[in-house]
Order: sequence, then structure tokens, then C-alpha cells
Amino acid sequence: MKNLALYTIPIKYMLIYVVLILLSGLWLFLLSQGLDSSESLMHTIKNIISTPEIKSMEGIIEVATPHLFAMGTMIFVVAHFMLFSTKISQKVSLIVAMLLFAFALFDIFSYFAITFGLVVSGWIKLLSMLLFVLLFLVMLGMVGFSL
Amino acid sequence: MKFLVTKDLAHSTLLSYLMGSVVFAIFLYLVLDLVLHNYAIGLDIHSISVTLFGDAENFVEPILIDSLLLQVHIDLFMTLFAILILSSIYIRLYSSKAMTKWIVHLLFILGLLSPVMLILAYYVGTVFATMWLISFVLWHVLACIVGIMILKKLLFK
Repeated sequence: MKNLALYTIPIKYMLIYVVLILLSGLWLFLLSQGLDSSESLMHTIKNIISTPEIKSMEGIIEVATPHLFAMGTMIFVVAHFMLFSTKISQKVSLIVAMLLFAFALFDIFSYFAITFGLVVSGWIKLLSMLLFVLLFLVMLGMVGFSL
Repeated sequence: MKFLVTKDLAHSTLLSYLMGSVVFAIFLYLVLDLVLHNYAIGLDIHSISVTLFGDAENFVEPILIDSLLLQVHIDLFMTLFAILILSSIYIRLYSSKAMTKWIVHLLFILGLLSPVMLILAYYVGTVFATMWLISFVLWHVLACIVGIMILKKLLFK
């Protein structure tokens, strides 16, 4: 096989696409919490912490179902490129990838805790999203560094 | 990075059939995606304007940003996977051609421009709606051509 370096082109673009998917996902979540009608981003975040939007079980499952498939697939596709890395050990890649899967599940299911009344504040959703997005950016950085 | 590509797979019949089948499925997806976007947003400037900005004379409300952003969010995901699969197979079969690199670049750039232009069109105006239409149709056409080239190589090698 020749020109294996050509395979780095799709991987580089994939990193950009994933960042845009994460950003649009964050934006969508903030819109669902009233960003469009409220004064500012900070105001919306304070609203989420104090009084998160009430969602029905149907609404949560409608969001959770495609995200379980899409987030799982996306983590797998991005993380599997670390198999070919010569700069970062597979042990580190394994830890980051498994944490990423755990944070993705935490993110998807955190709103259930609010709906079931286990927590009153929306901090749990904010924390889970933040952890997931930040760790995904770390994973993307690792793939980018390995190219 | 080191890619684990073995020569054993170079003449595998199973791999050829698998690649051909997935490319055929993506080809059908691309055609139906055009039809779907024609229904959801429109594929001519008038329909796109009505969807994005509404039509006061006919009491048509503009699309909600939530709905548009959800469409963009899904489009980014689907586009990424469709182009990632197509380009990987295309590189495998056409790695010796000088054009390959530029076709892959163009495919990813057009696929990326399309959702970004749609959001810009919503906030800025019809100029970006035209750019969305051009980039959206172009990446679908280019992806179809790439798909046909892959199938041609697999079927008539």
C-alpha cells in the first residue's frame, strides 16, 4: 500500500467536525433551557442551576436514545485511531477512552436524576456536560498530537 | 501514526463486497438526503427563504432556531460518517492518483461549509442561503461521483 499519509486527511477533518458537533450540541442544550429568550449566557446557566426546565420522561428518552448510539459510535471512531499512535501509550488511551464512555453515560442519564427528583438543582447536568466535552477535547488533542 | 494495513486484504473478495455494499448504501443515502432536505428546507432560493425567514403575506412563520440547529447537529454527524467512510475507501483504491488528495479535501470542506452556511443564512441573510445551497448540492454530487468511481473500480477491476 502506498500513500498511507493520505489517511491523515480524513482524520484531521474529523477532529474539526467533532468539535462542531460538540459545540452545536452545547448550543442546542442551552436553547432548550431558554437561552434564546433570556438576557445572556450567564443568566441561562444560573437558571439551569436554580430551576432547570422540567422535561417529561418521553422528552428525555427521545433525546437519550439517539445520543446513546451517536455518542458511543463517535467515541469509538475517534478513540480507535489511538491504536495507531506511536506517540501516546495505549494505556493512557485506554484510560481516557473508558472515562469518556463513562462521562458520556453520566451526561446522557444525568437529567433523569432531575426528573425523578433525586437532585433539585441542574448542576449535575452542567457538570456532566462539562466533563464530557472537556475530556472529548483532550481525546481529540491526543489524536491530533499523534498525527 | 502507523497504519496496520496488511497485503493479505488487498485481494480479499469479502472486503471488496463489503466496501461495494456500504458505498451503495451511502449512495442511496445521499440521494434520499437531497430529497429530505428538499422537504425540510427547500432546494431553491425561494423555498429556502420562506423556510428560514417566513412569508408574511402568506402567514408562514420562520423556522425556529432550535429546529434548524437540530437539523445542523444531525447533518454534521451524518456528513462526517458518510464522508469518512467514502474517503477512506476512495484513498484505499485510488491512492496512486494525484487528484485523490484534492478530491478528499474538497469533499470534507464542502461537507463542512454546508451546515455552517445554513446557520449563517439564518442570522445574516439570503447570500449565505445561496452558499448553503451550492455547498450542499456540490458535496452530494461530489460524494456520488466518488461513490460511482469506487463501485466502478470494485466491479470492473
